[in-house]
Amino acid sequence: MLLAHILQGVPEAAPFNPIARWTWVFPVIEAIHICGFTLLVGTVVILDLRLLGISLRGQRISQLAKELAPWIWAGILIQLTTGPYLFSGDPREYVQIAAFRNKMLFLLAALIFHFTVIRKATTPEADSAPLGWRKPAAVLSLGLWLCVMLAGMWIGNL
Amino acid sequence: MSLLRFCEWLSRTPLSVLLREGAYEYPVLLIIHLMSIAVFGGIVVMGNLRVLGIAMRSVPVSQVIGQFRAWKWIGFAILLITGTLLTMSDPMEYYSNVMFWISMLLLLLAGLNAMAFHFGAYRTVAAWDDAPIAPVNARRWAGVSLFLWIALIFAGRAIAFF
Repeated sequence: MLLAHILQGVPEAAPFNPIARWTWVFPVIEAIHICGFTLLVGTVVILDLRLLGISLRGQRISQLAKELAPWIWAGILIQLTTGPYLFSGDPREYVQIAAFRNKMLFLLAALIFHFTVIRKATTPEADSAPLGWRKPAAVLSLGLWLCVMLAGMWIGNL
Repeated sequence: MSLLRFCEWLSRTPLSVLLREGAYEYPVLLIIHLMSIAVFGGIVVMGNLRVLGIAMRSVPVSQVIGQFRAWKWIGFAILLITGTLLTMSDPMEYYSNVMFWISMLLLLLAGLNAMAFHFGAYRTVAAWDDAPIAPVNARRWAGVSLFLWIALIFAGRAIAFF
């Protein structure tokens, strides 16, 4: 009920919006969106493999997280500008696609997880403690980002 | 047999027909293909950024490059397998798609660049492993790699546009 109500309020694409006007704008923005997620995957995989104790075991987790943070931010920033812009090309269509709505839910979950649990797992105070709970947390983090990407890629196939 | 004739033959094989006409084969392969690009490319790019001295400066270069090698190879293998299958779904289409050939050229250049780095500047890595910024001859290859990867993503996306 609520969803149907919200969907009704979604506007059509603005006629002067470049992405709705010229066909080449969409693939260009989408390519930037793919570059952004490649960057995000690179940083998240490196951090989570460290939390799992698989790679970079000699490195202090808090230091690694601190040095990766600007790149994770850069990736998130690229995604949160190109993503909504892709969306603006045909909002009414996107909100009706289940994969799109799932992606938004996974994205929200992944971001919340990253800035709460993963942040806590990478504090300097945790450096000397055994990996413990941080291993399953890293698996969950990888799983959430994987779901975001799988759902995102599926949008285009429907 | 010419390449065109080979593509004609290939497009009539049962596997090619299945990949072309199945509802899920192509999108599923495409998603796995994109995932492997993200894992492979993402780790390569982070290695490039480390050599350039703008990411993970406190981590030795040889660790960033060496400890993720297995993941890179797995990503690359999946990339090649899914890429080959995607091409097989419609060989005639890709044969005449200029962006497909540009992508293949960029991939080849990225591979040659990586080999040049590995057998060139990287051999002396022990001398600059802990340095926040690598020497200029190593940075050159890292910069070229970064450029090629971005170009590859744009060209790869453009295959479907042309």
